[in-house]
Amino acid sequence: MNATAPFDPALLGDFFSAATQHASLAMSQWTNGRVSLSLDELREAPLEEVSAELDMGDDLLTMVVLGVQGDGVQGGMGGQLILAFDDENGRTLAASLLGREVVANAGWSELDQSAVMETGNILASAYLNELTRLTRRKLIPSAPFFVQDFGASVLAQVLAGQSLAGDRALICRTRFEFDQRQVNWSLFFVPSEELLQTLLTAVQTSAANA
Amino acid sequence: MTCSAPERRAEANVGMAQIALVAQGEIARAVLGSCIGLVLFHELRKTAVVAHIVLPQGQDRPGPAGKFADTALPEMLAILAENGIPRTGLVAKVAGGANMFGSSGPLQIGKENHAIVIQLLKNLRIPIMAEHVGGKVGRRITFDSATGDLQVDMAGSPSVVL
Repeated sequence: MNATAPFDPALLGDFFSAATQHASLAMSQWTNGRVSLSLDELREAPLEEVSAELDMGDDLLTMVVLGVQGDGVQGGMGGQLILAFDDENGRTLAASLLGREVVANAGWSELDQSAVMETGNILASAYLNELTRLTRRKLIPSAPFFVQDFGASVLAQVLAGQSLAGDRALICRTRFEFDQRQVNWSLFFVPSEELLQTLLTAVQTSAANA
Repeated sequence: MTCSAPERRAEANVGMAQIALVAQGEIARAVLGSCIGLVLFHELRKTAVVAHIVLPQGQDRPGPAGKFADTALPEMLAILAENGIPRTGLVAKVAGGANMFGSSGPLQIGKENHAIVIQLLKNLRIPIMAEHVGGKVGRRITFDSATGDLQVDMAGSPSVVL
């Protein structure tokens, strides 16, 4: 965030709610109605507190990382989306998508990884399609990247880019349900400073036209 | 026979851009990606400062001193001096600086972070006792001020003690 131009994250609430709703619909279709998601919280936090705020600790997680690319974002990079699970939840998702039983403590086959990456792709595409509609800037996800690592390490790498512009990060916390039960999945959206300004401008334009 | 609970030592979690002073058995932990975990340790005084450095240079950008390599090092030395720790006898241990997503990923700053930290340490004539840097995976570091050991954990690899 630009330290000289603080903003109220709640201003973006409608946009992120709409994007999350869109992503939820796509996920429901992809998983035959088993997975849904909703926006839990949107706020800013100091950079040094983000990992603690998100309760990422230093657990090893399975993650799909996608960049945000498209018109109106310099160099095509407008931030990142991270879909994260603990190992058990990741395996449950992969097994569900591949129509087989969960195999605990097995390696992640290419097919497993592909199923989870495609989930990230579908989720991110739906999310960014809605933001594209709201901002009138074409935003698309990059190819998904599968990673198993410390959640805080991945988040720190992603936040390093945002930290060039300021000391605060936008936290967009999402709640997931699998078969109507809340599960330990997380979606983090970390917009670049440039994309954030684009979103804020779109919000103001939308409010002025209302 | 009497059983007593194991001694619980104070732990500091060093978040992005933070600097922590640890002494006499206190422990500092950080989880790193492209960031650098820099430890300046005085063995005789069993005291260290640990920084979680995010970017190489401040260049008038906003942020706490610990965020940038070029501002973190002077701040670390100032904290040690304020606590009566002399510069003579200090040694450095360095970890982090990974490139986690290959060339297509977000900001690849790990190598640059590492290079500038090493250069600054050379300029200050602080010997580097051990390094564990680069690669494609994140690191969890745990520094023990009682022993000076820096434990490095990585996904899928055995722990290393520097």
